[in-house]
Amino acid sequence: MTTDRAAMATAEIEVPRESLPTLADANRDISRPISPPRWRYWLVLGICAALILAAAVAWTIQIRRGMGMAGINNPVNWGVYIVTFVFWVGIAHSGTLISAVLYLFRSGWRTTINRAAEAMTIFAVMTAGLFPLIHLGRVWYFYYLVPYPSTRLLWPNFRSPLVWDMFAIGTYFTISLVFWYLGLIPDLASLRDKFTGVKKKLYGAFSLGWQGTVRDWSHYRRLYLYLAGIATPLVLSVHSVVSWDFAVGIVPGWHSTIFAPYFVAGAIFSGIAMVITIMIPLRWAFGLEKYLTKYHFDNMAKLLLVTSLIVGYAYAMEYFLTWYSADPIEQESFRWRATGYYAGPFWIMMFCNVVVPMSLWFKRTRNSLAALFVVTIFVNVGMWYERFVIVVTSIAHEFEPGGWHVYTPSLTEITILVGSFAWFFFWFLLFSKTLPVISIAEVKEHLAHAHEHEHRE
Amino acid sequence: MNNGDGSIDNNGGTTRREFLRVLGVAGAGAAAVSCGPPDTGDRLIPYLIPPDDIVPGTNVSYATVLTGAGPEPLGLHATVRDGRVMKLEGNPSFPHRGRLSALAHSALQDLYDPDRIRGPLRRDGSGPVQAAWDEAIAAAGSALTGGGLVLLTGPATGTARRFYSEWVAALGAEWMAYEPLGLEAHRTAQRIAFGRDEIPLYALDEADHVVCFGADFIGTWLAPVELAARYSASRFVDRGRHAKFTFVGPRLSISGLNADEWVPARAGTETLVALAVAHEVARRAGGGRAARVRAVLAPYTPEAVAETADVPAQRIRALAGEIAAARAPVALPPGTAAQGVTATDAHLAVALLNYVSGASGRTVRFDGSMVRGRAASYAEMAGLVRRMTGGEVTTLVIAGANPAYGMPKASGFAEALERVPNVISISPHLDETAAAAGWILPSHHELEAWGDAEMGSGLRALAQPVMRPLFDTRQREDILLQLAEEAGRGNALGASDYRSYLQATWQELQATSPDASRPFDEWWREALVSGGARITAAAPAASSPPLTAAAASHRFALAEAGDELALVTYPTLQLYDGRGANRSWMQELPDAVTKVVWNSWVEIHPETAEPLGLSTGDLVEVRTEGGSVTTHAYLYRGIRPDTVAVPLGQGHSEYGRTARGRGVNALDLLDGASDGRSGALAFTGTAVSITAVGRRGRLAIMQGHDVDEDREIAELMTAEEARTAIAGHHVDLSELVEAAYDSDPNSPYRWGMSIDLNACTGCGACVTACYAENNLPSVGEDLCAQGREMSWMQVMRYFEEVEDGFQTVNVPLLCQQCGDAPCEPVCPVYAAYHTAEGLNGQIYNRCVGTRYCANNCPYKVRRFNWFTSEFPYPLNLQLNPDVTVRSKGVMEKCTFCIQRINRAKLDAKAESRLVADGEIQTACMQSCPTQAITFGNLKDPTSRVSVLARGARAYNMLGELNTRPAISYLRSVTHAALVEDDHGQGGDGHG
Repeated sequence: MTTDRAAMATAEIEVPRESLPTLADANRDISRPISPPRWRYWLVLGICAALILAAAVAWTIQIRRGMGMAGINNPVNWGVYIVTFVFWVGIAHSGTLISAVLYLFRSGWRTTINRAAEAMTIFAVMTAGLFPLIHLGRVWYFYYLVPYPSTRLLWPNFRSPLVWDMFAIGTYFTISLVFWYLGLIPDLASLRDKFTGVKKKLYGAFSLGWQGTVRDWSHYRRLYLYLAGIATPLVLSVHSVVSWDFAVGIVPGWHSTIFAPYFVAGAIFSGIAMVITIMIPLRWAFGLEKYLTKYHFDNMAKLLLVTSLIVGYAYAMEYFLTWYSADPIEQESFRWRATGYYAGPFWIMMFCNVVVPMSLWFKRTRNSLAALFVVTIFVNVGMWYERFVIVVTSIAHEFEPGGWHVYTPSLTEITILVGSFAWFFFWFLLFSKTLPVISIAEVKEHLAHAHEHEHRE
Repeated sequence: MNNGDGSIDNNGGTTRREFLRVLGVAGAGAAAVSCGPPDTGDRLIPYLIPPDDIVPGTNVSYATVLTGAGPEPLGLHATVRDGRVMKLEGNPSFPHRGRLSALAHSALQDLYDPDRIRGPLRRDGSGPVQAAWDEAIAAAGSALTGGGLVLLTGPATGTARRFYSEWVAALGAEWMAYEPLGLEAHRTAQRIAFGRDEIPLYALDEADHVVCFGADFIGTWLAPVELAARYSASRFVDRGRHAKFTFVGPRLSISGLNADEWVPARAGTETLVALAVAHEVARRAGGGRAARVRAVLAPYTPEAVAETADVPAQRIRALAGEIAAARAPVALPPGTAAQGVTATDAHLAVALLNYVSGASGRTVRFDGSMVRGRAASYAEMAGLVRRMTGGEVTTLVIAGANPAYGMPKASGFAEALERVPNVISISPHLDETAAAAGWILPSHHELEAWGDAEMGSGLRALAQPVMRPLFDTRQREDILLQLAEEAGRGNALGASDYRSYLQATWQELQATSPDASRPFDEWWREALVSGGARITAAAPAASSPPLTAAAASHRFALAEAGDELALVTYPTLQLYDGRGANRSWMQELPDAVTKVVWNSWVEIHPETAEPLGLSTGDLVEVRTEGGSVTTHAYLYRGIRPDTVAVPLGQGHSEYGRTARGRGVNALDLLDGASDGRSGALAFTGTAVSITAVGRRGRLAIMQGHDVDEDREIAELMTAEEARTAIAGHHVDLSELVEAAYDSDPNSPYRWGMSIDLNACTGCGACVTACYAENNLPSVGEDLCAQGREMSWMQVMRYFEEVEDGFQTVNVPLLCQQCGDAPCEPVCPVYAAYHTAEGLNGQIYNRCVGTRYCANNCPYKVRRFNWFTSEFPYPLNLQLNPDVTVRSKGVMEKCTFCIQRINRAKLDAKAESRLVADGEIQTACMQSCPTQAITFGNLKDPTSRVSVLARGARAYNMLGELNTRPAISYLRSVTHAALVEDDHGQGGDGHG
């Protein structure tokens, strides 16, 4: 416990001295958004709800009529739904990475962003988890994938990567949710103390009787550390397993051992980008400039740059290995990927994920929130296209040339894709008005240390 | 979407009402309401007193004959379950050896056409209105008495021919048989050459060199099923035979694509090339025949024709050399596909070539085996049109013919029809002709009717109703009899109904037959059971009539070659003269040459298309003096740059929902020119211009890429390589092709198949047989264009580069039933699994529709149900009760006809034995005219399929993936010289 604290204390936190908030400021500032919303909030929430409703209608029509409402075909049996599924699973990565991995590495700068990043993880998994259902031809039998004690004595096929997927994502969601909730407990207690009436009762119930005693803190710290330890391998496992959906397949363009690390790097890349994309408007809307500083964004931008380089390396290595394999079918697949019908998506991917992030070598870019926002939007788009390129171009152009065929997303798919963003932001908006978007407890802890330093000087 | 009446919409459009309903459902959060297929409300009710000839769950087979499926009559065994015919199979006792064409299979859809006429109709000012039979017969019959009566039917043989003649005699009328793709030019040429008014047999199976001057004998000409079988017999490479096949003409038809060599002569110059080849053969050969024709052939030296025909003299000389050296050469005439204004002379030139090469009397012989009904030529039909316009025809009875569609617009038939006061149509379908008639008297479909047909060589096939009529229709001849009765001439034919007329005729036939001494009833019953009888003692001996003096001094009319593009219009094997257009199986059967479905196109050589900026799918206006049509460009390397080709058969204005308003009618382009000697309509040679419309249309092409990229898919070897390989190959009968994990070691079977690519012609009969057997839905043009066709089997047409052009390898592609299948491990719910007998099973009930199996299938043979398919009444009556009808959301694929396997296994089990080799015939195999497909047990090392799988030409498709397919392909063999092609020339697979 003490060593832990000492470690925290030594962690640098560069909050500008003159504006160093007091502990009371922190309490007030961070919980300020938890107040009756204004019209702007309702407007955005309403737009999200409308888009979700549109997607729900589209899905309902698809269920009633058939999967043909989507643009997919033979051979492109997987389209926007799987692309978007992988995209959201990728987004879900940064939360755990920032919370757990950076926690274990004692990167103190995570403090102000981990709550939002974790929330993002939860909501992204909730979004991603819908897509395997949306893409099922007979979603009303989805439970066939679950190993339940069926009277027909049938189990799912544990050789199928889709079953692995279900377990990987289920585990990830559970651990992420518990980890996030655990971190919330002290803050829920602060809110309980702030409010009266029903709110007090609700926050009180969820804070599980937190008193802030040393005993409470001791248990909390220990559990937090363990969960961080459990969550860390999941960062690697979830997207590795998702990548095996493809790598285990025989399809040229999928069947490659590079996929697991390639997907994990891509996931972290896209996750960090999404965190930045969300944090910048959040900081502005809720007036959290004091807590989310350039320092945080600079660090995240550096992480983005590193993962961009890894992803770029993976792209290059895919092509190198294809050339090196001397397998003409593989080579044709990759030649077509860059020059064929889907050259557009391929070069969008290259530009967004490899070229644009190179601007982050410059401190000026990293320190300009506007520039960062633009860069991360590019990355978000690029990473969606990356999955599109992997999923669609591979199956559109594989072994049997007579079977080659292309695919164009349908209106149903686009509606559901847009709806998935609305669904994600809908939850995020609810979260931002009901729970502290920054961990009050952790910020206060750091502020306490910072003030101590100040006094000592 | 269930429309309440049980019909399902899957066209993708959403109505406002539906949108609101769905919105309400979604809003209530009840998205999972009624996900599965709708409850149709149908109940299974058992018979109270079961009919004693119906055993539940058992098929009954009735023999009959089909005369309306292409140019040849095809003997059938119609499989009937619970009183409904559901599958047609060939009757092996006839010359087509029990094999069927795709068009023949689709006769079922013709029978169950949802737009068939269901009762008599009378044309009102506004359109057809329902009428009663008595009223209709009375009104129509009274019109027959006024004189000026013409009966127009399709060509007829046997009893029908006699009946029509007697009917018109009784009524003082005139009978004309109308057939748009008639053989009149060919017949006329034989008359000129040999004084014989008949059609010879082309015994391709005996030939060692085949030259075809244009006839599409594999697709549409004369006897495609029989001739394809004979042709493939000449190339049984495993038995040391491999006839060389050279195709001469401006465009490669499906027959041309099968050739080893293409001599791309300019359109209309087939005559010249044939004469020049004959000239050279005569020069080389001695003997009386050569001496007799030398004079008439003298002007046609190879050099003299080389420029006009655009064929180097050297090439002609080489071809002549091959023919002269061949033991049994045969030359096939231009047929209908290359029928121009000098058609008879072209056929005559080929007859001369056959004469001088020694083929006449040997491989081309008049042995009475090709009996085809005589048809009025186009010129005669034009005469009828003139008389109709001139008011000489007061009553026109059209029974079983559709001239309003089949006569070119330029002929003015449709306008002339308006001038005829009484038009009576007797037809099962509301086609263009019926729609223009005053009285529409619906007749039975062929499968519901009595009749007979001459099968050649003294055989006569008997047609019997295989099921009760679906609708309020009557036998065509019965309607004619009733009309005659109404006109007061009822007794003239001596029968009250056609069945007794037919029986009376057969009674007469029996008197001269080899069975004259047997009781008639017994003989008749036997004929009904076996499908027909021999009515002459022996097949007439083949004779070799001498060349007539007229032929030896014939002055050949030659088509002028202009600078303009030449038009070729040709029938396709799926739509034929347009009659296939009302059947979704035929619309959805990819064209053998272009792989296009549900539409029309114009074939243009890439060199011609380039300056116009055209690519495949673009809309093009095709214009001739006769008219113009706007259709899709299809860039095709198998056509001369100075020729464009448009298929016949589409562009119907009536003929039901499947046919109507689809594509264009190529006949609109013809100016009505005809062959001077036979009067046959000129389908080719019209000058034509093409203009890009500047719009991109969508053409559903069912093959993404035309070359196999050297991927061990379509394999080709030279005849020489094949000879060496086969000679040096020894099959060890003790060795199995099977690996331990391909099937359960305790199972006595692993089912396997072998497909001989050297035999496959690409005709697609297997594909349609599969549709019929396995309840495959037709999905329509939109879904086909999106890549959502449901065919379990496709014939991929791959072009392989060879020296001097390209070769075509047709690859029937179906589930390979891999021993180590990539589809199986990825299914999360075991819907795709491996059966004990080595099949890749697919459990529809278990499938949740992840579609991972389809992604992981390297052969791309899995099909997903994107929607629940429609089988509008009465098409649903055709569904095979042994095969599940699949609904939306599940994956399906070829099962190797598991229902047939199981039936054979049950039979074997009842007799306590194993299934014998050859006992199981899959639907595709059963239908294949060239017997390219063999099915059997791979665990029996002596089964035919096992032996073939270990043969010298066998390979597994994409073998390097080690999927261990149960299908082995046998390499196609060509006489062309192969090239080592460079790898990696891909293209975009969008279509």
